[in-house]
Amino acid sequence: MTNQLAMSTAPHSRRLPNLKVLAESALLIVLIYAVMAVVYVSVQPSALSPYAIEALLNNSLPLMLAAAGATFVILQGGFDLSVAGIISLVNVVIAVMPVDGPLGALANLGVALSIGIAVGAVNGFLVAGLRIQAIAATLATMIVCQGAALLILGAPGGYVPDFMVYDLTGSVFGVPVALVIILAVIALWSLYRRTDAGRNLLAVGQDRKAAGLSGINVERTEFFSFVWAGAFYALAAYMLAAQTSTGSPSAGEPFLLLSFAAVALGGTAFGGGRGGVTASLFGAATLTLMQKVLFALGVSSFYTGVIQGLIMILAVLFAAAVRYAVRSRRVA
Amino acid sequence: MADVLSVQALSKQYGATIALRGVDLGIRRGEVHAILGENGAGKSTLVKLLSGVVEPDGGSLSLDGAPYRPASIRDARRMGVSTAFQELSLVPDLTVAENMLLPKVSTGRFWPESLASIIRRGRDLLERFDVHDIPADAVVSDLSLAQRQRIEITRALSHARRLLVLDEPTAALPDTGWLFSQIRRATGDGVGVLYISHRLSEVREICGRATVLRNGSSIGTVALEGVDDAGIFSMMVGHRPEAEKRTALRPNKGAEVLLETRNLRGGLLKGVDLSLHAGEIVGVAGLEGQGQQALLRLVGGAMRPGGGEIIVGGAKAMLTSPQKAQRTPPGIVFVPEERKTEGIFDTLTAAANIALAEFATGGRERLVNGRAERLLARQSAERVSLSPRYLDFEVGNLSGGNQQKVLLARALMTGARILVLFDPARGVDVGTKQSIYQMMRHFAELGGAILFYSSELPELVQLSSRCLVLYDGRLAAEVPQEALSEARLLAAAHGHGERPTNDLRMAV
Repeated sequence: MTNQLAMSTAPHSRRLPNLKVLAESALLIVLIYAVMAVVYVSVQPSALSPYAIEALLNNSLPLMLAAAGATFVILQGGFDLSVAGIISLVNVVIAVMPVDGPLGALANLGVALSIGIAVGAVNGFLVAGLRIQAIAATLATMIVCQGAALLILGAPGGYVPDFMVYDLTGSVFGVPVALVIILAVIALWSLYRRTDAGRNLLAVGQDRKAAGLSGINVERTEFFSFVWAGAFYALAAYMLAAQTSTGSPSAGEPFLLLSFAAVALGGTAFGGGRGGVTASLFGAATLTLMQKVLFALGVSSFYTGVIQGLIMILAVLFAAAVRYAVRSRRVA
Repeated sequence: MADVLSVQALSKQYGATIALRGVDLGIRRGEVHAILGENGAGKSTLVKLLSGVVEPDGGSLSLDGAPYRPASIRDARRMGVSTAFQELSLVPDLTVAENMLLPKVSTGRFWPESLASIIRRGRDLLERFDVHDIPADAVVSDLSLAQRQRIEITRALSHARRLLVLDEPTAALPDTGWLFSQIRRATGDGVGVLYISHRLSEVREICGRATVLRNGSSIGTVALEGVDDAGIFSMMVGHRPEAEKRTALRPNKGAEVLLETRNLRGGLLKGVDLSLHAGEIVGVAGLEGQGQQALLRLVGGAMRPGGGEIIVGGAKAMLTSPQKAQRTPPGIVFVPEERKTEGIFDTLTAAANIALAEFATGGRERLVNGRAERLLARQSAERVSLSPRYLDFEVGNLSGGNQQKVLLARALMTGARILVLFDPARGVDVGTKQSIYQMMRHFAELGGAILFYSSELPELVQLSSRCLVLYDGRLAAEVPQEALSEARLLAAAHGHGERPTNDLRMAV
């Protein structure tokens, strides 16, 4: 009988959870992206030229970075609307900075990151320190940042250093700079999620109370998730300025909804605790690629939104179905 | 011997609610000290204060003679105080090893430690505390409640250098052997243990002294050898409890059959026939993992059967959801095991939680009227003797016993005639137990039928008009009321050929 009892209650060892980890990893969205890429290449064979690949990566990069930032906050169970404000603000600040050349680009990067981190820290303080609801707090900072952006630059314009516009959107030794940045972010995340800070981020998202009782500093974890997010939004704005070679006080607006869409598409749970930055990167890339595919197919841009939304629902359903299948296999 | 912990005039207030109004106690080095008290007496608050979750409003704490005022769990751990929480504080999707080592899992200074190495260290810790059957690389959400509880306790043990706080450590454990040997080892090293449990027999076995709390104050500290159970109860409740009485309900085979199952299978349940008559309370007994959970969930509509039939009110029924079960005449209502996760809305008031059932079944288009809600709730609350003053409280702020009353009141509210209760009196105090028992008897007297599982044998013996014993997913025995005894149930629960041992208790 003892044997039977032990069998009936024996915990699953590593084999099955690995399958689960796989289902919840970035693999699914990478597959979806690959399928989409095949479709794209078949309708537009010129998409395989180095120039086209470089352009695609450049177009995708700002949204990918913004989605990566949003993921930090969503993973701990929070919400951050300030993305639109931070991107607009950073974007116009770069456009009015009177600097040039590689050093100017570096200065721009420094200023951009400082703004992003500062606004992120304010968000973190409001939410983790003062216990203001995340949606309300980040909505407020978003509005403040957008207002500030309008004060700095009333209409699109300004100047972006040539180094950013040409070198940062080009290739080094045949490798697009955008790809290098993406790989760097993936590497950073793979490392970060294995640190205590990264583990705590996911733990807080899974069960805030248990995490707190386990000794995790929940407030600190929340705070830094907003700081990370701010830094990534700033990076997104920086690359957006490089790509558009101009500044606009409303540059961040499209990012608000699209970054959430990208995170959802990547399979990161909005309750927190499940998902990752890599998946969000591919979610964002998939969204951008989807637009390209529809354009190549000659679909009127009026329909793009409708079809994008539908494909998103399908993708999320598909991911849920796979997860469900894996779970029922574990039970059976 | 010197006290490792001394507590003087400790008080804590949450808003207008006074949780602790003056607690004095001392725990000696190497002593296991019990804290006894009804739910709501202040035990949980005391635990939170000692472990650094909340800070006291008044009074003083000292640890080894030095002032002790932890600002956080980490703070408390640094000073050698750690807690195994009743509500279990494990992060579900992390491995056992990671949970054991939280919040500083990785030892790597410049590079995160590999998972393999973390798991190795976790395994060493598990070995150190004689946990051999739980793999360090298992994910916590795959573990049974009993296994999680042992991990929770092991983690607390690994941090306890001066004081170990155990809050209901045996609530989910099948036996106390492992726990007690670990406690003895800790006390041998001079660690003081604060032990909270509702099970007096185990308190007597492991603890030397006990401090009794009532209404947030310490009533006194007694040596357990010098006082009998009745004496302890009277300290806890302020009056002697009435003598234990058995259910007077007689099984009436002629009574209407409200529910039947035929070869019901699913989960660990491998085929059970049972019938539930109006006016009877049918107990279900079994060791951990014999299919009782599946049986109750199946009948309650919370799980889909793998085969067999459920016949409700004479007609074959498909109970695809608890809601469907509730609407299948004469109505089945299921009160699950984990009230925190499976039934209660922490942030709604008690009244809203109770009246929810009425609004959920009554109709979709009705607006919720606050006064109607309160009125409705009050009637049901009376039947489970929930004091009306709690109706306006958020349920999350009520004690465990009162939360359970709220759930039962809601179940009654539905007007269903079949109650399915999973361990309805688990982890609640003596007083609440009695009012739950009374409610159950009253319900059956009015022509309802109850199917309930309990992890406590005396409860089954006291309440059941007959008792079904599950073993390995099947009915091992059906014990009629006149033959009910703890020994009889224990024997049946072990299947055939084995004799019950004394220290083995029933477990969830």
